[in-house]
Amino acid sequence: MIGCGGLWSVLMKRSGTRELNDFYPIRPECQADVPTTRFKPRYGKTLSERRWQASFDEEGRLDIAKVLRRIQRGGVHPSIKGVVMEFLLGCYDPNSTFDERNELKQRRRGQYDMWKAECQKIAPVLGSGKFVTTPLLNEDGQPTDPSLVTVTNPDKKVAQWLQLLHQIGLDVVRTDRSLVFYEDEGNQAKLWDVLSIYAWLDNDIGYVQGMNDICSPLVILIENEADCYWCFDRAMRRMRENFRCTASSMGVQSQLGTLSQIIKTVDPKLHHHLEDLDGGEYLFAFRMLMVLFRREFSFADTLYLWELMWGMEYNPNIFTRYEDPERAKTKGVTPAANDKVLKQYGKFERKYLKAGHTEENSALAVFLVASVLETKNKRILTEAKGVDDVVKILGDITSSLDAKKACDEALKLQKRYLLKTTKKA
Amino acid sequence: MGDDIFDEECDYLFKAVVIGDSGVGKSNLISRFTKDEFRIDSKPTIGVEFGYKNIKVRDKLIKAQIWDTAGQERAITSSYYRGALGAMLVYDITRLSTFVNIKKWLHELREFGNEDMVIILVANKSDLSHSREVEKEEGKVFAEKEGLCFMETSALQNLNVEEAFLQMITIIHDIISQKSLEDKMNGPKLNLTNGKEIHIADEVTATKQVNCCSR
Repeated sequence: MIGCGGLWSVLMKRSGTRELNDFYPIRPECQADVPTTRFKPRYGKTLSERRWQASFDEEGRLDIAKVLRRIQRGGVHPSIKGVVMEFLLGCYDPNSTFDERNELKQRRRGQYDMWKAECQKIAPVLGSGKFVTTPLLNEDGQPTDPSLVTVTNPDKKVAQWLQLLHQIGLDVVRTDRSLVFYEDEGNQAKLWDVLSIYAWLDNDIGYVQGMNDICSPLVILIENEADCYWCFDRAMRRMRENFRCTASSMGVQSQLGTLSQIIKTVDPKLHHHLEDLDGGEYLFAFRMLMVLFRREFSFADTLYLWELMWGMEYNPNIFTRYEDPERAKTKGVTPAANDKVLKQYGKFERKYLKAGHTEENSALAVFLVASVLETKNKRILTEAKGVDDVVKILGDITSSLDAKKACDEALKLQKRYLLKTTKKA
Repeated sequence: MGDDIFDEECDYLFKAVVIGDSGVGKSNLISRFTKDEFRIDSKPTIGVEFGYKNIKVRDKLIKAQIWDTAGQERAITSSYYRGALGAMLVYDITRLSTFVNIKKWLHELREFGNEDMVIILVANKSDLSHSREVEKEEGKVFAEKEGLCFMETSALQNLNVEEAFLQMITIIHDIISQKSLEDKMNGPKLNLTNGKEIHIADEVTATKQVNCCSR
């Protein structure tokens, strides 16, 4: 798209918000209601398309260390966000060749088509460019409309799935509707298809509200629906525990517990104050963690934040871990001392590695919330008389939070936390 | 809303929850009541969100803290219902299934909520009468049978929204006043100052019949 460096630098300088709006246009009637975007592609900092292309060797192996350095400094240019996201989320191994990746992609597309056909057999509306928002089963578990559901007396798995489809539809129509992209019913249906097929395959989780917020940007960034599905699947590998519902709790509460642990360690006074306000469960941070700050940032800024976070959390073994969990286990922990190897890790992950943490680590998002709480520490201590006040104080970040600064603060907090906890141990 | 919530001294803090199926308009009812706002681009609620408003009932200043939640069936966090004195149970008059599910929500409320909780049944989206699937009479009859207050509202057109919340809050207030009057006569005083959640510990059965407004 952009051929020469000179033109690129001009574009980078002149671009900014206007250009971003060309990438993710907002409906005119919604302009006033959406948060303003702070992200601007910066020459020499943001990963550009040209630099991205130049990071592959002849056969297609990606110099991930080089790319990560850029992403963690200034995010990714909108023209390549989708492909970069696929690597960051572990869809592909940076050490693979163009041919190997192409083969994998074709195989995955074939697989997706099969799953889709399976679902279509039960609910033909899937893949038709339309979707449903009214229940497909009545109270007795029978189809409400035989033209929409082909089976009678659905078994438990099928019934459970069918019961989710209208819920997905109700959320799809309310997802990012300030964006021109979702004025198109076909695009809404694409989001609905991906979420519905995911729900069919992941019976434990199915569909839980909030998954739409995670999936929507991927649907916009990645044109091919099958590729989009796989990327969403990889995103869910990181986040799916948050969406796990049991009779008595939501999965995200485990992250809230970690958050509470972190605040208790680095700022006990704030923690006690929150406990006094009956906010000891940190429920006010529920949404930030569930949908990764989507409601606190504009669309473009969320993407920027996600790139930074996933860049910082990057672990070079992620592809193998997802694709071949057994092999990932036997491969064991990479000998950490090697500097070249360390550079293939994101900053956040690297710190864990250096500190000798090998088990499942807490997500950067938790430290991010903690750092946001820390910046509001004074106001919360003096002004908050109830959990709703805490929410109100945190609500102010919507217009003021800078993704890059927030991530840097989160890294500092991680350092402090690791120092304190390893000392104790 | 200014920053006045931090300054004004309220006589009471009332917590109320709003529940009902996805997309019936819970968040917009709350934002209409607390901020006089209606968003056509509103998003599904995730986790717990809050609205609040200071209102005068009789001669008392009350801070109403309204808890909003996701409509999808989910694990019950006991903290959601803990200390709630009122509940607004919402359905959408254009979708029969949301009315059918009211039974489920009521069941949950009675299981997890305080037994003296003031419950108001709200039939929302009355502006969409051309695609109505639930008649007003059906809602009313159901409410009477279950001993709930009832009101048809439109968050979009701002019809009856304030009235519905005010009715709930006024009844809570009356129960509380009666309760604290009884307590004054019987000994230990309830702490009803600002910043504290108020739990009605004992039965307020005496006021319960009086508060049923679906007469």
